[in-house]
Amino acid sequence: MRALVSSPEAAVLAREMGLEALGLARTDEEARRLAGHVGRVYVVRSGSVAEAIVTLYRDEGFALAVLPGTREARDAAAHAAQLIGAAFVPDAVNVALAGDKFRVERLVLGNKAVAVYEAHPPLLLTLGPGSRPVGEGSAGGEIRELSVGEDRRVRSLSVEEKPKGAVRLEDAEIIVSVGRGFKKKEDLQLAFHLAEVLGAQVGCSRPIAADLKWLPEEHWVGLSGKKVSPRLYLAVGISGQAQHIAGILNSKYIAAINSDPNAPIFQYVDFGIVDDLYKVLPLLAQRLKERLGRA
Amino acid sequence: MNVAVLVKLALDTGQLRLSQSAVGVEETPLKISDIDRNAVEEAVKLRGNAGKAVSISVLKWPPVGRRTQEAENLLREVLAMGVDEAYLVADEALAGSDHYMTAKAIAEVVRRIGADIVVAGEATVDGYTAQIPARVAAELGWPYLTYVRELRVEGGRAVARRDLEDRVLVVEADLPLVVSVTREINVPRIPTLLAIRAAMKKPIARLGLGDLGIGEAPRARLAELRPLMVSRRRLIVKEGTVEEKVDRFIDFLMEEGILRGT
Repeated sequence: MRALVSSPEAAVLAREMGLEALGLARTDEEARRLAGHVGRVYVVRSGSVAEAIVTLYRDEGFALAVLPGTREARDAAAHAAQLIGAAFVPDAVNVALAGDKFRVERLVLGNKAVAVYEAHPPLLLTLGPGSRPVGEGSAGGEIRELSVGEDRRVRSLSVEEKPKGAVRLEDAEIIVSVGRGFKKKEDLQLAFHLAEVLGAQVGCSRPIAADLKWLPEEHWVGLSGKKVSPRLYLAVGISGQAQHIAGILNSKYIAAINSDPNAPIFQYVDFGIVDDLYKVLPLLAQRLKERLGRA
Repeated sequence: MNVAVLVKLALDTGQLRLSQSAVGVEETPLKISDIDRNAVEEAVKLRGNAGKAVSISVLKWPPVGRRTQEAENLLREVLAMGVDEAYLVADEALAGSDHYMTAKAIAEVVRRIGADIVVAGEATVDGYTAQIPARVAAELGWPYLTYVRELRVEGGRAVARRDLEDRVLVVEADLPLVVSVTREINVPRIPTLLAIRAAMKKPIARLGLGDLGIGEAPRARLAELRPLMVSRRRLIVKEGTVEEKVDRFIDFLMEEGILRGT
């Protein structure tokens, strides 16, 4: 049985399940990396990825397809899955072949539960957080071009890149994140000052970026924003809606400062301070400076 | 314009009944999936004066028999927001079934009501797989635009701003079309008392898979649902002065090796 894979991580996963991996890449660079891990890579430089998946299913056949987790790739996977009559499980955290069926796990219900699905092949999925990074491979796979059509009913008019500042939340070791507990935009300085002392980046919850627009979207942490995995995630004045929690679950430690002892965020923390952030933040910054010996 | 809007009767994760070993699905109430309220708002706006806005819901959480009244109560809220008619697909075979079957059922209702555009939320709060819009489009053979934060429809054509991770795409597409919207697109209305009263008289049609002529089997099945054990320390400090709380926090950060002093 075969697996269609779009990343070296997925190729390793397929091999562990005893499946022969076939690559699907969008760029020459991706194709080159994948060729180190699989026998053959199809590169689809333009056109509909959904059509590419359907074409490869018909021509090559696969029991499993592991696709990238981007919004566009997920759409393509869902679209292709309906056309070939397959299940699609995004953000899978565990997948195994049991007899003639796959068993796949993913988090559901605001990350309060794990759903286990049994699916007949073919199964399409994207991998959730926690997959191991894989280095360069030496399989020396063959690279072939696959040309597919474009859906002419949808036409691109323009592209606006979102502003990219110096914020790299994905790589941050410590994140101080701000939420609705701040009463006005200027007060966010308290968090920025603490972040400076800690050598941290500043993140935020949905309302701060999307509704109030106090910070650009690149600071937004959560299911619709960025998924982060710092050593310490400190949520300040964030109540802890399910969509926000979904973005921070991979943090090594989670801490929160909130004046409401019943805020849902406290269910997910290693350490919590129930108090007014306006009193805690200045003092925390000051005491950290003293104890860390930083100016 | 005739508009179909997809409304998920989601499991209310905020009121989820959980024990050590089980998720009490049957005891947990349903709610209208948050983002679907934005979809309803957009559908009612798109309908205009001449058209019709119809909501489509598929009951996914058991017990289906006992949930129908609960579902109809929720659909009254959607009708109060301005939707003209609600369709509820309730069938034991759909509870715990996969998205393949759900999309088939939705697409069949869309065909029957003759919609020009299908509007959905970007994802639902319980499952959050965001796959139904693209699947329904595949089933109907229509184009689709997902993650739309601004939408303008005129002359059989839609222009939308799509929110992707690192960029916003401005695209146009021909109708008929499937669109999924984000919460930024609008502010859902709160129905007036008058609208709530009027909603009581609007029709809710209940259908089973048999009525829709769907006899296929799901591709996947929910085999198990178990609570996620959170293995966090949950040291929560409520008592003491701010100074004491702050010092205990810094002690914690040092003891765990998260921060190192000098």
